[in-house]
Amino acid sequence: MTHHLSQSITRAMLLFFLILLITSCSNNDPEVIDYKDYYELQSGGNLVNAMVGEPSNLIAMIAGDSASSAIAGNIFNSLIKYDEKLNHAPELAAKWVISNDQKTITFTLKDNLFWADGKALTSEDVLFTWKLVTDPKTRTPYASDYLLVTKASAPNPKTFVVTYAETYAPAIDTWASLHILPKHILENEDINNTFFSRNPTGSSYYQLDQWISGQQVTLKANSKSSQGPPNISYLTSRIIPDTSSQFLELTADNIDLMNINPIQHQRVFPARKDLGRKINLYKELGNGYTYLGFNLKKEPFNDINVRRAINYAIDKDEVIKGVLLGLGEPVASPYKPGTRWINPELSPYPYDPEKALNLLKASGYQKNEVGLFAKDGKVLAFEILTNQNKQREMTAVLVQRRLKEIGIDVTIRVIEWASFINRFIKTGDFNAVVLGWSLSLDPDQYNIWHSSQQGPGQFNFIGYSNKNVDKLLEDGRKELDPNKRERIYHKFSEHLLSDSPIVYLYAGYGLSAVNKRVQGIKNPAPPAGIYHNSYEWFMPKSLRRNEMAN
Amino acid sequence: MLIGISLISFFIMHLAPGDVTSNEASFNPKASEESRQKLRELYNLDKPVIVQYTLWLKRIVKLDFGRSFSSHQRPVLWEEKDKNGNITKGLIQESLPITLLINLLGIVIIFSVSIVLGTLSAIKQNTWVDRSITLFVFIGFAIPGFWLALLLMYWTGVANQWLPISGLHSQGYLSLDSFSQTLDLLKHLILPVFVSSLSGLAGISLYVRNGMLEVLHQDFITTARSKGLSEKKVIFVHALKNAVLPLITIVGLSIPGLIGGSVIAESIFAIPGMGKLFYDSVLMRDFPVIMGILTIGSVLTLFGNLIADLGYAWADPRVRKGIIR
Repeated sequence: MTHHLSQSITRAMLLFFLILLITSCSNNDPEVIDYKDYYELQSGGNLVNAMVGEPSNLIAMIAGDSASSAIAGNIFNSLIKYDEKLNHAPELAAKWVISNDQKTITFTLKDNLFWADGKALTSEDVLFTWKLVTDPKTRTPYASDYLLVTKASAPNPKTFVVTYAETYAPAIDTWASLHILPKHILENEDINNTFFSRNPTGSSYYQLDQWISGQQVTLKANSKSSQGPPNISYLTSRIIPDTSSQFLELTADNIDLMNINPIQHQRVFPARKDLGRKINLYKELGNGYTYLGFNLKKEPFNDINVRRAINYAIDKDEVIKGVLLGLGEPVASPYKPGTRWINPELSPYPYDPEKALNLLKASGYQKNEVGLFAKDGKVLAFEILTNQNKQREMTAVLVQRRLKEIGIDVTIRVIEWASFINRFIKTGDFNAVVLGWSLSLDPDQYNIWHSSQQGPGQFNFIGYSNKNVDKLLEDGRKELDPNKRERIYHKFSEHLLSDSPIVYLYAGYGLSAVNKRVQGIKNPAPPAGIYHNSYEWFMPKSLRRNEMAN
Repeated sequence: MLIGISLISFFIMHLAPGDVTSNEASFNPKASEESRQKLRELYNLDKPVIVQYTLWLKRIVKLDFGRSFSSHQRPVLWEEKDKNGNITKGLIQESLPITLLINLLGIVIIFSVSIVLGTLSAIKQNTWVDRSITLFVFIGFAIPGFWLALLLMYWTGVANQWLPISGLHSQGYLSLDSFSQTLDLLKHLILPVFVSSLSGLAGISLYVRNGMLEVLHQDFITTARSKGLSEKKVIFVHALKNAVLPLITIVGLSIPGLIGGSVIAESIFAIPGMGKLFYDSVLMRDFPVIMGILTIGSVLTLFGNLIADLGYAWADPRVRKGIIR
């Protein structure tokens, strides 16, 4: 009997595997689409993209995470925006006039601005938003820029006036990043705890259609958009935390757009011709760079020769090739390559181990019996800290190898972000760090480099202090003429490169893979990036996905 | 007991450096230290830990789990209605159902498959059937879940478009009728449930196998056989019943596990469950959410122990009558 029983189970299992085998043989090849070079513009469609995190809420001044600002950016407008070439351009404001004493800015709003619910958008809303962001009860980390405004008023529905105590050049930039919120909805709401954060009403191209918690956020075109209607009717952002899963979804045609990494860009796509047939790749420079920063208050980094020697000893091209597979640019100024703030006369420290050795010897370092540099019996050795970020870890390893070659002993320690900041950065208890800055588009970097910004939790945590730089940073904040500002920041970059308080390593490209059904994306990407004209993208009907809805 | 558990978890959480204001996004030159200090004060994070714990305890005895720091003051446990009737759902409320569903399906599958496999290998002890089953469950136990998950996703989702790859719903599922919606959800759950059950098979099936072997060698089985009962009856009626008794304990002890999800599986399959919620909260130092999940977890652990004991007494008259303890 037992024999019989097990036999039938075994038989059932065999049958099951047989069925699996048969079905797996009937592999239906997806049809291959022949993409044309040109498609007629057709509006409609649903663009599906993938994000790693869920937005925490859609009020950007409170949220702070990148997922939130990405989605909120499609719903809300600011007074000013950056155009394709990263110059200031009108968004809600048609124009802005700066007074002769350079302390007052008068914004004039465009005609016929509406919220998605049909109410008129006026300067009262702008004033309300300013009051909100500067209200001490509002839980925002971004208040400081707006607190500099001493007087704000809305004399008529189309005019908004702000006055600063003294000239503040980055002011224009701050009005390009503040999303204007509707007074008529939020007036009696507690901004820290309101339904509005998950069901917002904005004025930009899209409005919220549906938010399925933890799964996806769908936006639909806003017919009352202040900037005219977008071509694509629906934007769906699926929340897929794992990038390998995102990639599978992309190859299976379930999503249209995702950010990819250098390995996928340089290795996977060239090897998989089938993917190249249906997916386009784009690259754009982000607004930031990765660096090796020294604790300037500590031995041996208070010695400029040591800092310069390390700079000469690191092969930046090698780091770009090794970590980014070539998808990065070397930097010599702390700005986005290709913008006017980059000083064209500066170039990075070349890879020159010979010079590095000479500089160390000039500072009195001698090689000891194991081939490491030492001075007064103290070996030249330090620890590089970085957070859990694969690219930064790999960078640190390449730096470690090159420094070992010239006789500097480096260890590497990788730490979770919150501990990293609180235990090491805030307390100043570190030798060197591999980190990155992501910057706003205004050239002002007072918070990062001014000698007054070294307190715990402030951003000049490496302890950089140079009187000339302090002066330039102060002047730069008071100068509104872009040409004069350019000269100031070129000079500032020159000091910074010469002092070598950090070693600029690279500015990496942001990489996107987009299904060819999305048309109208500019390639190569303009300085502002591919998303700059996303409202002009379109999906030809013949290429759209068959969907149950829409 | 609960106070002890919560006190220890609260202190351990606060021993970790950092708080909700020190996440990576806030390391932005535009965010000033003064503003962050202000946030700390608003969240009472500037007070001593013991004061913070008392504040928390005062709320929790009223079953108020508080509000999340990092996700814009959403309620931790259950939905709240504002004065205009807008409902804000709780974080645990939204993550729990899907985790419960996956874990319940997983437990049902693990136990039913394990009982079959365990019984089979006991009957066929030391034959190729026994050995291949043991090999199979151990491979299942040892195989890295994320790796298997990605392979299966590729095979069933990209190479052959049989199953959805990730997520819980297809695009536009809201326009479907409720039957198709359920079907759509089940389709999305096949891979996650399969992958998470596979590793659980080894333990339980070996448990059943050994229990069965022990029972089969006892006198009453010999008696049953000598009475002339069919082998089927001997195994399924007499032996199996006794062999699976200890499983009651395991079921009881797995109750707290029902609300815990696997971070890795949830990330790969893009399932917004409890594992991901807890993991993200720890990274964000979102203390109210962490404490909420831990409290519910410890209550369920105590409850599960009770259920296991009661269940045992219910199923086994010998325990009830105090013959064995």
